[in-house]
Amino acid sequence: MRTKYFCVAWFVLHFLVIMSVSCRDTLRSVAEGPTILPRWSKDFSQKAEAIASVALGQDLVVSNPVRQVLATYLHVAGIESGYGYFAPNVPGTYKLTFELHYPDGRIEYARPQVSSTAAALRLTGLLDQIGRTKYDALKEILVKMLAQSVWREHRDVKTIRAEFGSISLPSLTEFQQGKRESYQTLYTYDFSLTQGP
Amino acid sequence: MTTRGVVNHASLFKDRLVTFLFPIGTDSWLTLLRLGLGLQVIFYSLSLRNDWNYLLSGAGGLINRNLAEALLSVESRFTPRLGWLLALAKHVGLDEHIVLSAAWICLLGAGCALVFGFACRFCAILAWFLHLCAAKSGGFISYGVDNFMTIGLFYLMLSPLPDRYSVDWRLRELRPKDPQLLGFWRRVLQLHLCVIYFFSGLTKCLGSGWWDGSNIWRSLIRPPFNIIDPETLVRWKYLFPVAGIFICLLEIGYPFFIWNDKTRKIWLIGICAMHAGIGFMMGMYLFALIMIILNVAAFGSGLVRFRRESPSLRPQEVVP
Repeated sequence: MRTKYFCVAWFVLHFLVIMSVSCRDTLRSVAEGPTILPRWSKDFSQKAEAIASVALGQDLVVSNPVRQVLATYLHVAGIESGYGYFAPNVPGTYKLTFELHYPDGRIEYARPQVSSTAAALRLTGLLDQIGRTKYDALKEILVKMLAQSVWREHRDVKTIRAEFGSISLPSLTEFQQGKRESYQTLYTYDFSLTQGP
Repeated sequence: MTTRGVVNHASLFKDRLVTFLFPIGTDSWLTLLRLGLGLQVIFYSLSLRNDWNYLLSGAGGLINRNLAEALLSVESRFTPRLGWLLALAKHVGLDEHIVLSAAWICLLGAGCALVFGFACRFCAILAWFLHLCAAKSGGFISYGVDNFMTIGLFYLMLSPLPDRYSVDWRLRELRPKDPQLLGFWRRVLQLHLCVIYFFSGLTKCLGSGWWDGSNIWRSLIRPPFNIIDPETLVRWKYLFPVAGIFICLLEIGYPFFIWNDKTRKIWLIGICAMHAGIGFMMGMYLFALIMIILNVAAFGSGLVRFRRESPSLRPQEVVP
């Protein structure tokens, strides 16, 4: 019987955490919008999301043991994020192109490469993360790392210009009218390779 | 209401909760979960066989693993990661390439062992640990499939293994220590799926694009999911709003209709068909597979008839 009580207690805590994470991420989606909900729901969602975050210990300092233990549990159980895949709306995607400048003036274009389709899906996810991150410094570090991976394949390159942009998808009507996906440059980074990028 | 009445109600609620959380049942769902997750781990490992070291190495890979691990440490210092294995291996002089390759081989081996049901508990823990290490160390390249694999493997390693179709049961004659918890772990998985679909459906319902079908169109033409020619898709344009609403209702209705004997089969087939559709039309095969595995294990084992299935391993403990 003691095992059962232990299980029930764990069950209650486990699902409280799952519900908190799910509510927090759903509220965040509403706060970041756009959704079909009225405008006032954004303010409400922001406040409610803050409450859900408090329940998950995210207002505690990072080194707080409670926060650390809770965060570890979320990660090991695979419940650290909500379930709003492709929701409320399907976002556009991103593209990263490298312009490789050789010492003889030659220019070539390259993109980060992986061997398999499964890895290509992950690479797309990485580009989406770079596009969505709010921290410019992290964005630059990630692009620089990808530039390094390309540089390893083209050792004699002198400089690399990385162009990171978003791809806008046409609506069905626009597609029927002949419009195709459009590309817009968001960031450009120049890396000198005298001693590696 | 009198105090006695409140106590009676509380006692009744407790009994109902215990009855709900600890149902009597067979271990056929656990067989499905073990087999399915074993296959999932095998396909996951094989799908990344050529890129494993490139995606997860420190210097010399696509993205330096140390960056993802450093960011993870800020959030949680105790979450498993490949860096731990590498630090250990460094003491015995093994280099990164060997450790990563060994981790991949062990993960594949754990997947194969799970399929056969050999050393079930150990292999479930090993698969969970190694997959978690890879998912967290490759944090920038992880996506939904990794979350669901972690969830599935987490529940599998805690469930009362081995099941009766495993090698452990048949040849090694091992028996689970707590068979009365079989129903509990199935309930946990079932309820977790209900939460997953409810919130997934709710968030979709909040986007206008799921009601008019434009999100279906966008999903199917979005690189790298655009495996069907858009010109072909245009011919199906009248189906998009129907499909969008169907997905919203299927997901948000999941926790309400999956429990009823009359609607369970329809909902389960609908959800599995949706995931199969996502798999084939968008190329997300691993994602589709893990979702189908979790659904079939949680709610399908009553629908899939096992040969010589007996009612229960051991009677439930009597609640005094």
